[in-house]
Amino acid sequence: MDNLGELLHGFSIAITLPHLALMVIGVLLGILVGVLPGLGAPNGVSLLLPLTFGMQPVSAIILLSSMYWGALFGGSVTSILFNIPGEPSSVATTFDGYPMARDGRPTTALATAFGSAAFGALIGVILITFLASWVAQVALAFGPAEYFAVYFLAFASFVGMGGAAPIKTVVALAIGFAIAAIGIDTVSGSVRLTMGVDELVKGVNFVVAVMGLFGIGELLVAVEEEFHARAVSSKIEWREVFRAIGRLPRHSVALLRSAAIGCWMGITPGGPTAASFMSYGIARRFSRRGRYFGTGEVEGIISPETADHAAGTSALLPMLSLGIPGSATAAVMMGGLMIWGLNPGPMLFVDQKDFVWGLIASMYVGNIVAVVLVLLTVPVFAALMRIPFVIIAPLIVIICVVGAYSVSNSYLDVVMMLGFGIVGYLFKKLFYPLAPLVLAIVIGDKAEDAFRQSMLMSKGSLGIFFANKLVTCLIVAGIALLLLPLVLQLPRLWRKPASAATETTAQEAAREKVII
Amino acid sequence: MISRRALELATAILTGSFGVVVVVSSLDNGIGWSSAGVDAGTFPFLTGIIIVLGSLYNLVRGVMPAATLASVPIAITSIELRRLAGLFVPAAIFVAAIPLAGMYVASALYIFAVLAIPRQQSVPRALTMAAATALALYVVFERMFQVSLPHGALAAAFGF
Repeated sequence: MDNLGELLHGFSIAITLPHLALMVIGVLLGILVGVLPGLGAPNGVSLLLPLTFGMQPVSAIILLSSMYWGALFGGSVTSILFNIPGEPSSVATTFDGYPMARDGRPTTALATAFGSAAFGALIGVILITFLASWVAQVALAFGPAEYFAVYFLAFASFVGMGGAAPIKTVVALAIGFAIAAIGIDTVSGSVRLTMGVDELVKGVNFVVAVMGLFGIGELLVAVEEEFHARAVSSKIEWREVFRAIGRLPRHSVALLRSAAIGCWMGITPGGPTAASFMSYGIARRFSRRGRYFGTGEVEGIISPETADHAAGTSALLPMLSLGIPGSATAAVMMGGLMIWGLNPGPMLFVDQKDFVWGLIASMYVGNIVAVVLVLLTVPVFAALMRIPFVIIAPLIVIICVVGAYSVSNSYLDVVMMLGFGIVGYLFKKLFYPLAPLVLAIVIGDKAEDAFRQSMLMSKGSLGIFFANKLVTCLIVAGIALLLLPLVLQLPRLWRKPASAATETTAQEAAREKVII
Repeated sequence: MISRRALELATAILTGSFGVVVVVSSLDNGIGWSSAGVDAGTFPFLTGIIIVLGSLYNLVRGVMPAATLASVPIAITSIELRRLAGLFVPAAIFVAAIPLAGMYVASALYIFAVLAIPRQQSVPRALTMAAATALALYVVFERMFQVSLPHGALAAAFGF
């Protein structure tokens, strides 16, 4: 019951006029980046980051997290009205959302999506409210070895459950680690991997990487295809909104199942995109009306939306209580935490109670604000989509360039950002996952420090990772996840190659689409 | 036209050579165990090795006519390549122009060029948008958030 008291205190921080105003601004900006193709939650949040350096950490995190909620909602708007997912995580929403809107029920589709999204987010926040401080308490007893084991588990679960080709995930992770190592080594003070460029001594800021990977990279992918923004009517009929939301409880099984999938995928770093696809797939298999999926089924909208938002919200749980972000956007926010001088991880729950509970309370309020605002502004943002891409694209380029520069007033950052753009494009095109790359850039240093500290404690023996039950479990689970793709390959090798080949081609093609 | 295979190969070579650079330059920091614990170069060295090995694997998979690659033989068609270049080349020129022209002038020129040259918009409209972009940048960054963007060598020469 302590948590409820803390939560009430949090509400007293979150529900103040300046913070409510920040939520409104954040949500609106979030919907904007969510609606625009080429700008998503991760780089929207990182664009805003330099502007929060002078703010109170609580206010800053409320602004950034509200932007995250807004982006999650904004992505669904374009999915449903234009069949263009504004965010990778709302791709699955297009499958049934757009057909329903095209059939003349855009309001029903939007209201169903927002209603189930809000439900998913609510479950995610409730989970955080009750679980986060408990996890943090457990984590307080962690030593460096335990920390390294948790990091190891997080990275391993990307490889085992991320959905991308395992070796590509490993390469992406390792590149992230190498980038994190550039600059001054925090333990020995020596300069590493600068390759003779003096300016690299300060390291590569993750904001620069995110801006290029997600901003320019996504823009390059988007420009390849011509957009036909054939919009269905974007007028909102308010009576239908309430009717559609009133009908949601009939699908409570789908809602609860999707929320559970979402929470699980959010806490383990599977991310919202994988969660929404998985939830959609499972719903299609288990729903009685499964064969109508793809023609505008209500459950086809509920399932991906609920899971998407549940995952997006619960991705903040490991970030707050362990210092391990569950999604790319959470990784960027965690980078922000470190810049504001906070140390993400269990100590937050001891030292920074106002911050933690203010944030958690703001998640309840922020999502309500987001639902209301997104419903009110659908026509406005739908109109934005009619601006030709040729005008939006250079503006996004300028935003990314200015954003990269303003991180540390360095021109080299801008050039690097452009380079990351090419890498992001290639990786996206070839289905290398980007989230583990960003995650490794943000927490690579911490993982390395944890490893080296545990090595110091054990005088160089790896035995410290098997010294007690907890560490052993974590390490063994991590190794199991690493080996999982290999194990799954075995039966396929045994089968006759000829019959397996045709099957896998279709499967792989379908599977590759799932990866961000 | 660029085939999926060529793209896979190019990317694997790109990541692999980054791995080699990481391995080589981390050797300078020393790898292994010293009196101060794990040497600074050890961790990057290991990640470099992983990158190289992983890239080699991806390279081999890219060369082999695997089922996965056969399903999408063409990664980028020539039309798509032209669109890509149409976005990236002006953006690269824009970035290259920043040290000389400064952020404001460069972004105004950039907007004007991409809108007016392919006849997307009429010249007066492109001019208006270019000016509005530069002005918006100035107001938001220089005035509201007190972030100074580069003014450029030309502006410096004129005494700004």
